[in-house]
Amino acid sequence: MTRLDPDRDSAPWWAAVDRGELLLQRCASCGVPRFPARALCNRCRSRETAWVPARGTGRVYSWIVNHQRFLPDLPVPYAVVCVRLDEGEDILMYGNLVDAAPEALAPGLPVRAVLRDGLVQWTPA
Amino acid sequence: MFSKNSGVSTLTLAMEAILTALDDAGLSLDDVDGLATHRVGDSTPPWVVAPALGLDGVSWYLDQFGGGSVSHSVVGQAAMAVASGVAGTVVVYRAINARSEFRMGGTGRGAAPVFDAQYQAPYGYFAPPQQFAMYARAHMNAYGTTHEQLGAIAVRQRAYAVKNARALKRDPITLDDYLASRWIAEPFRLLDCCLETDGACALVITSAERARDLAQPPVLISGAAWGGGDSFFSGVPTDFTVTEAARMAPRLYAMAGVGPEDIDVAELYDCFTYSVLVQLEDYGFCPKGEGGPFVESGEGPPVNTHGGFLSEGYVHGVNHVAEAVAQLRGTAGDRQVAGARVALSTAQPGYVLAGTSALILRGER
Repeated sequence: MTRLDPDRDSAPWWAAVDRGELLLQRCASCGVPRFPARALCNRCRSRETAWVPARGTGRVYSWIVNHQRFLPDLPVPYAVVCVRLDEGEDILMYGNLVDAAPEALAPGLPVRAVLRDGLVQWTPA
Repeated sequence: MFSKNSGVSTLTLAMEAILTALDDAGLSLDDVDGLATHRVGDSTPPWVVAPALGLDGVSWYLDQFGGGSVSHSVVGQAAMAVASGVAGTVVVYRAINARSEFRMGGTGRGAAPVFDAQYQAPYGYFAPPQQFAMYARAHMNAYGTTHEQLGAIAVRQRAYAVKNARALKRDPITLDDYLASRWIAEPFRLLDCCLETDGACALVITSAERARDLAQPPVLISGAAWGGGDSFFSGVPTDFTVTEAARMAPRLYAMAGVGPEDIDVAELYDCFTYSVLVQLEDYGFCPKGEGGPFVESGEGPPVNTHGGFLSEGYVHGVNHVAEAVAQLRGTAGDRQVAGARVALSTAQPGYVLAGTSALILRGER
């Protein structure tokens, strides 16, 4: 599938993905990492922020294996994972499981990010 | 501040406007429990703005469709929310990049229909059965919830639909039928999913005094509650096994002066089997994590006595209210719950960056 239009908060994040970099925002005031991108820290409400590299590692929180052909050009089955990043329990990213079969999926499975074709995918670490 | 090119997102504009208004009033975000806006596909809704601000415990929200014709209606409805006591302090906002991004009737480009889609849809993750399957898998991971337990919900609701002439699906099903139905998105099978339905359903709301003079027995609204939803934003809770309904339910029960033990019949939002299971926990019918064994045991009040969205049809919740009304009037025919006096009817419990809401209704029989 193709990407959707970024919004004005997310455009720098997607631009970094295109360069092969996985970024997070970090509040310049309280230091808490945050995702997805936005202008205000929802903990300390500071507007000061910086982009920092993400470690690109996390653990599988939940997943689905999709069988229904919702779109004609999308081959099935495929797995979608929801990953809790190692930077913080509250940072969730979605992506496909790549270079592994869905049978490998288990709660808490360590995974690492694979930046491919302008998307962030996940594979067992 | 107005410009021809704000350079920022409508989310940022909304947050800045809200903070400025609060500062001007001598209030802080901690004082706010209601958020209201209107949009025509060009802005950011309350349930995205609230978690982005770290706003906790929203007890009323409004996301009105419309442009300039509804701007004052939003203020009027906020006043009604405060007057009725469901909210203490509401902020009404409207945030648009109507020159630089989304021109009225202009470029044909609209704002993303849902905020989180850009981070999910490119991976083939966009359809509700996929999203709720993701939540259900988290519940399975955390509590050992099984396919058979989800299936018990589908089978029981179909048995009600058999007795409901209005239901679309009236052939009885067994657990084996459920387990044999094809995968949609694991862990969901076809029979975990509600029906896609053409239909309409309407309700007439008036004063209790006036209702008592009308053709049908009145049903009273004893409680109505609103809540914020889950979030894709870091910095707020991200446990898929607990919905906003868990936080809202105490407000709802308190307004109605009842508890879960007083509910005679429950019409629980069943876009998928799992949403019934999690609401049985979050509305207090069983402890967190025990929804699976609870649905297998058949304990608790009768649930989705018309067959629900799974078997009657899916009109996004208003048919749940209509069924609750029928039960409380005693007009539910073969599926009537004997002596039903108090009903709970719920909306989607707050998943997928949405809010939630629910009603407690009381009959006068």
